[in-house]
Amino acid sequence: MFLMRFTERAYVDYSEQDVRQSFRSSVRLTFSNSHFDPALGADLYNAYLDEYEYAEEVGFDGLMLNEHHNTPTCMGAAMNLEAAILARTTKRAKLVLLGNPLPIFDNPLRLAEELAEIDMISRGRLVSGFVRGTGIESWATNTNPVYNRERFQEAHDLIIKTWTTPGPFRWEGKHYQFRVVNPFVRPLQQPHPPIWVPGVGSPETLIWCARHHYPYIYLETDPQVTLDLTEIYTEAAKEAGYEPGPQNFGYLVRVHVQDTDEKAYEVGKGFLIGNAGVGRVPLPGDFMAPPGYNSREGAKRIVDQYKRYALRPDPLYGGVDSAGWQKVVESNRVIVGNPDTVIKKLRAVLSVVRPGILGVWTNDGTIGHADTMRCLALMEHDVLPALQEMGKELDLPGPFEQAP
Amino acid sequence: MTAYEEHFVEVAGANIHFLKGGRGQPLVMLHSIEGNLGWRRYHAQLAEHFTVYAPTCPGFGKSERPPWLETFADLARFSLWLLDQLDLKNVTLAGHFMGGWLAAEMAVMSPHSLDGLILIDAAGIQPQQGEIADIFLHGLQGTRQLAYFDLQQIPEYEELFADKPSKEEREVRARNQETVVRYCWKPYMFSPSLPGLLGRVRMPTLIVWGQDDRIVPLECGELYQQAISGSRLEILPQCGNCPPLEKPDEFTQLVRNFLT
Repeated sequence: MFLMRFTERAYVDYSEQDVRQSFRSSVRLTFSNSHFDPALGADLYNAYLDEYEYAEEVGFDGLMLNEHHNTPTCMGAAMNLEAAILARTTKRAKLVLLGNPLPIFDNPLRLAEELAEIDMISRGRLVSGFVRGTGIESWATNTNPVYNRERFQEAHDLIIKTWTTPGPFRWEGKHYQFRVVNPFVRPLQQPHPPIWVPGVGSPETLIWCARHHYPYIYLETDPQVTLDLTEIYTEAAKEAGYEPGPQNFGYLVRVHVQDTDEKAYEVGKGFLIGNAGVGRVPLPGDFMAPPGYNSREGAKRIVDQYKRYALRPDPLYGGVDSAGWQKVVESNRVIVGNPDTVIKKLRAVLSVVRPGILGVWTNDGTIGHADTMRCLALMEHDVLPALQEMGKELDLPGPFEQAP
Repeated sequence: MTAYEEHFVEVAGANIHFLKGGRGQPLVMLHSIEGNLGWRRYHAQLAEHFTVYAPTCPGFGKSERPPWLETFADLARFSLWLLDQLDLKNVTLAGHFMGGWLAAEMAVMSPHSLDGLILIDAAGIQPQQGEIADIFLHGLQGTRQLAYFDLQQIPEYEELFADKPSKEEREVRARNQETVVRYCWKPYMFSPSLPGLLGRVRMPTLIVWGQDDRIVPLECGELYQQAISGSRLEILPQCGNCPPLEKPDEFTQLVRNFLT
């Protein structure tokens, strides 16, 4: 099993009242950057990079980063810069970028160059994830959401061709046109760095990933829904002539370890303001999915999924108060506890979802740096070795053990 | 209410839906962002004097969209083709907000096809002072609040807004929204070249504006008037972005005065 560590690198010095006063009471997109203090931002960026370097020390196989725009819930607005720093300051762990939001780039060739540099500087440790981005990314970059999927696929095709086909060549696509495609630097990994795709279950994306043999990383999806989604991927893979296994799937889950269950339970509450931000004020639905962002068939499926979530605690987008925290923890949608508790709970999740990649989201929201470092330290001695054993016992090979 | 009929006509291989009623010289009414809201009071009033056509733009409601039709300029070219298919000559073209922008684009592309032009709180020109409100960012409810001076003074309020939309209506609404995003996302609700081209418009032109339009500033109406030689700007007090719905009696009287 491939174990990677993640945090959204949240900025948290703002109030619920601040969020409610923003346009349409949204913590993303329209929440004013006048609430951002660059001095605090400087401290936070450096603390988060320290945590990633320590995550490598304690034994994680991968350091997962993500990218969002116009939001205090994730300071990774220029994820590739963080990856470039970690390419030099770490030595062993894979740099897992989940991912670059392709549709918002007007020049995918620049992205191909940046990623190639990261791959070379890290001596071949880049995992290049690609995403469509949430609707917020379309709003923030004024990218027409109707063409989100078309641009995703065309930018992907262009980048892969750029990495694998000797230049110069010409590209005349629907959304991208280039006279001379010939970036001089190319990635170290051949034919190109691994491509992984994270998401919450758009059926079109699952099918597309299956056809490309790209591992799909479920972002905190409900375990039962996840099994349904895996069927979509599996069916498409079979049509493409292969049988997928755990190496084709990843699962991201929030996991916070402390010395005692009680402390982990209290500190872990900080997760509640991850994603949804301080105050957990629900986001406008059309900010996350503007008209045309999803196909109407895909949109219906996602609504059905949320209806299912409504039957269960939903730690993602508001609706959980402190009284609901107990249910969230009991249902293993967020896993907190001492090392033994966490190992036991993760076994229950891994046995059902069966991913070959486990994303361990160690901290977010108001979980502070000291608690995070303690969490990582506890993982080194107890949790990570147990998870590696569990991966063997449950036969969950990662994509570097078995080709997807 | 004046009777009307529902028809389809093929344009570039796509079935285009339209309503038609009345008698007299042809008057084509182009809808705005919400799509074709059906045969409304203002249609019926105008149909007592004119043959009123209310087409549904491609990609909205019951009208198909050819897959290649993705830009506003192509929408204008397509809509001129629609006039050909309907065999409409000596026609007056009217349009509201997005439909007004469409009418203006059609007028500069093919001025000889039109006998008259009516622009109602029309998008299409970038204001020099204010800005056109971002209907996408405001969302459906926010836009509805912005669009009217007073929702309660809309004579057809009950029919249009009182009931919770059915599943089918929500589906149509989603399709309509997606189509508006496709055509109008960027640049948002204006064409940088349109002001320079409006000098080509020589047909009689009426510009109608709600004095309290909070979506397209009145300034845009004034810019249209300055750009179109001989045009007349009529401003309706206590009225927002939708004079045909919010002030139908006053609106249709202005149109009648203009055309007769």
